[in-house]
Amino acid sequence: MNKRKQGAATRTTRRGRDAKTPGADTEHKTGSGAFAIAAECTVADAGSLKAGLAKLLDDSGVVTLDVSAVQRIDTAGLQVITTFVRERESHGRQVEWRGTAPALAAAAKLLGLSAFLKLPTPPGQAVETAS
Amino acid sequence: MTIDLTQFHDAFFEESFEALDSMEAALLKLDIGAPEPELINTIFRVAHSIKGGSATFGFSDIASFTHSCETLLDELRSGGMQVSLEISDLLLKTVDVMRAMLRSTQSKQPINMQKVSDVQFDVEMMIAQKNNAPAKPAAAPVKAAPAAVPAPAAPAPAAAASPATATSASTAPPRWEISFRPYRELFARGNDPLRMMRELAELGELTVNVDLGALPGFAQLDAQSCYLAWKLELAGDVSEDAIKQVFEWAEGDCDLELRRVGVETAPAVAAEPVVVETEPAPSQAALADAILSGTAPAIEEPKSEPAAPVATAPTLTAVKDTKPDASIGAVGDSGSIRVSVEKIDELMNTVGELVITQAMLSQLGAALEGGNAEKLRAGLAQLERNTRELQESVMRVRMLPISFVFSRFPRMVRDIAQRLGKQIDLKLTGEQTELDKTVLEKIGDPLVHLVRNSIDHGIEMPDVRVAAGKDAVGTVHLDACHRGGNIAVEVSDDGGGLDKDRILAKARQRGLVGPNDILTDDQIHDLIFLPGFSTAEKTTDLSGRGVGMDVVRRNVKELGGKIELRSEQGKGSRFIITLPLTLAIVDGQSVAVGTETYIIPLISIVESMRLKETSISRLSGHNEVFSFRGDYLPIIRLHELFGVEPRARALHEGLVVIAEGDGRRVGLFVDDLLGQQQVVIKSLEVNYGHVEGVSGATILGDGSVALILDVTGIIHAASMRAAA
Repeated sequence: MNKRKQGAATRTTRRGRDAKTPGADTEHKTGSGAFAIAAECTVADAGSLKAGLAKLLDDSGVVTLDVSAVQRIDTAGLQVITTFVRERESHGRQVEWRGTAPALAAAAKLLGLSAFLKLPTPPGQAVETAS
Repeated sequence: MTIDLTQFHDAFFEESFEALDSMEAALLKLDIGAPEPELINTIFRVAHSIKGGSATFGFSDIASFTHSCETLLDELRSGGMQVSLEISDLLLKTVDVMRAMLRSTQSKQPINMQKVSDVQFDVEMMIAQKNNAPAKPAAAPVKAAPAAVPAPAAPAPAAAASPATATSASTAPPRWEISFRPYRELFARGNDPLRMMRELAELGELTVNVDLGALPGFAQLDAQSCYLAWKLELAGDVSEDAIKQVFEWAEGDCDLELRRVGVETAPAVAAEPVVVETEPAPSQAALADAILSGTAPAIEEPKSEPAAPVATAPTLTAVKDTKPDASIGAVGDSGSIRVSVEKIDELMNTVGELVITQAMLSQLGAALEGGNAEKLRAGLAQLERNTRELQESVMRVRMLPISFVFSRFPRMVRDIAQRLGKQIDLKLTGEQTELDKTVLEKIGDPLVHLVRNSIDHGIEMPDVRVAAGKDAVGTVHLDACHRGGNIAVEVSDDGGGLDKDRILAKARQRGLVGPNDILTDDQIHDLIFLPGFSTAEKTTDLSGRGVGMDVVRRNVKELGGKIELRSEQGKGSRFIITLPLTLAIVDGQSVAVGTETYIIPLISIVESMRLKETSISRLSGHNEVFSFRGDYLPIIRLHELFGVEPRARALHEGLVVIAEGDGRRVGLFVDDLLGQQQVVIKSLEVNYGHVEGVSGATILGDGSVALILDVTGIIHAASMRAAA
């Protein structure tokens, strides 16, 4: 219940998004070096997520990933994001986060990836002890 | 002289598990307020005999625990206490605990004493509460036992997040170390580790360590493959079964190792690793236990107890025919014996051979001329009759009523409904319908999935139902019946039904359906069987991740069955699974291609026809199609597929058998139809190896071997050829 409300609130702040169905998940570039991750990040969408991120892999500046639209994410989706972050960090390139997504935070925590991804904590959730 | 009691242990465990099943069933039937005395007696007897048995064998922990239960039950029996919802919930928990204790003792694993003493404490509190003062019932604290009954549902992220947090355990409670290394194709099989973590986090305190070692560079990453692996620590009193159940659907798609550490009761066994084999799923193992012990329902139909075959097989244990109070043998009230499955299989095999020999003799006899030929033929006809009867009898020995599978649902539905806050009435009908044990074992998990789906997605919340003018209590109906040579198992609900528009929209969005394609209802329904397909707005820990329906269909197909779906929006859905009665025999249509004979299972055949030349069209390349009721179906020439010289090459000279597999229809081009017959299936895999498009072989009356075709495999093989 809570989750859905939060998602809806986030969507209305994004241009034009509120007009779409919850499943609408085309990816939007929000500017140079920034990337908005789609609402749906499951195994079915992992390919397009990867393609979207690939364009930013070699971006020399700071890449900002906007996660505020993320509604649904599974292991495959997180794996793509993790690989992206790791690859960039191994080349000394930074990734920053914008917005929060409860679904993403919960999934990352359950999969033991929160510490690695250094995700921002959504309001109202306890900080994870580093493992 | 001393008697070695250990030889009786197996029988004790088997009988106790059986008895616990009946205790659970009786508890679920118990009416709050006005319980039937006979049910309470049944429940009491179970506890009593388990207590007696375990005391005899020196399992003192079990004896002490069951003693407490017995005391509580005695109060109920004597009317000193009334059956309340609280008590029946608690008694269900004691069933779980007893089962877990017996299982641990049986496998010589340490018993999780913390859990035991928790529940025992609750039981004793309940009794003490009655003895102290009936005036202050509110004082009784009934703690929830989290492992037995899953915790009440809380919003997924919040609930999952807190147990997953790494915290240091205070007094080194027992915990599990789990090494979970998925294979690459885990995702493709519809599994999501996230779901498993979420379920584990519900069982106890979960610490997650991810291993990124196998993760390739970004460019090399295949987004659909799983590269991650995990080392997990699960603290709390969690049974091994509960953990295995979480990984049930990933069996065969991962390496899983469970290791129990830090159990204070038995330090010697503490660090023994338990490697999970991939074959027997825990629930199936439990089911197999129940089935092996062949209890009550089989006995209720004396006519289905063929005396001859059973008598030839030596008994394992005789189930005593005793007076109610004396033993848990009271579950069944006529004589029966336990026979190991291998012995029945052996018998089955021998009878199969006998059928073939008899068919050969009949064919020989038909050609004989001379003085005694007539007499010989009469004798052969008699032999044929007797052989058929023998075959049917042996087959019936392997048959068990489907109630073995159905019996697990009342508890499951009750638990899930409670968790989701829905009101559900579970209706079971046709429980006495019998089917082959192998089929029975394999149909359990798909049915569990369908029932879970029905409760989670199908049945609406009570307020929604009332608003839609329905009864607040939803109905989930499980039905089984014989239909021709098959058995039909149906799971239906009176919930919301499938939302066709949403499914279609989702499929369009995912590119599975073109934007302008018009689909029939059946085609739309078919979409939900695609791997990873889900329209759920939010995933729950029960379902909605699009995992499962494809697995359900795969399981059903592996059994040679099919699954259909009928759904009406707002009114509910029906899943109908059609299964063969047995895997040992198939109803087949024999067809001739050149000098070879092939068997096509009747269940896959739609119809057979002779083609007119005008209805055939040739497409580019080598592909041929024909029009069939407004559809164009591809033609697969069996002679080409199997490299046989046919009698006819022109399509209008032979026949086309329209067969269905994997939701697709094709025309199989053959020379002639020979006849319909039941054939005994001989496994090709066991005797030779797997051949694409062939599911097995059989021996015909003339002694020649005919291959049994697997239509799905043929369609697959042919499309590979067409693509090549």
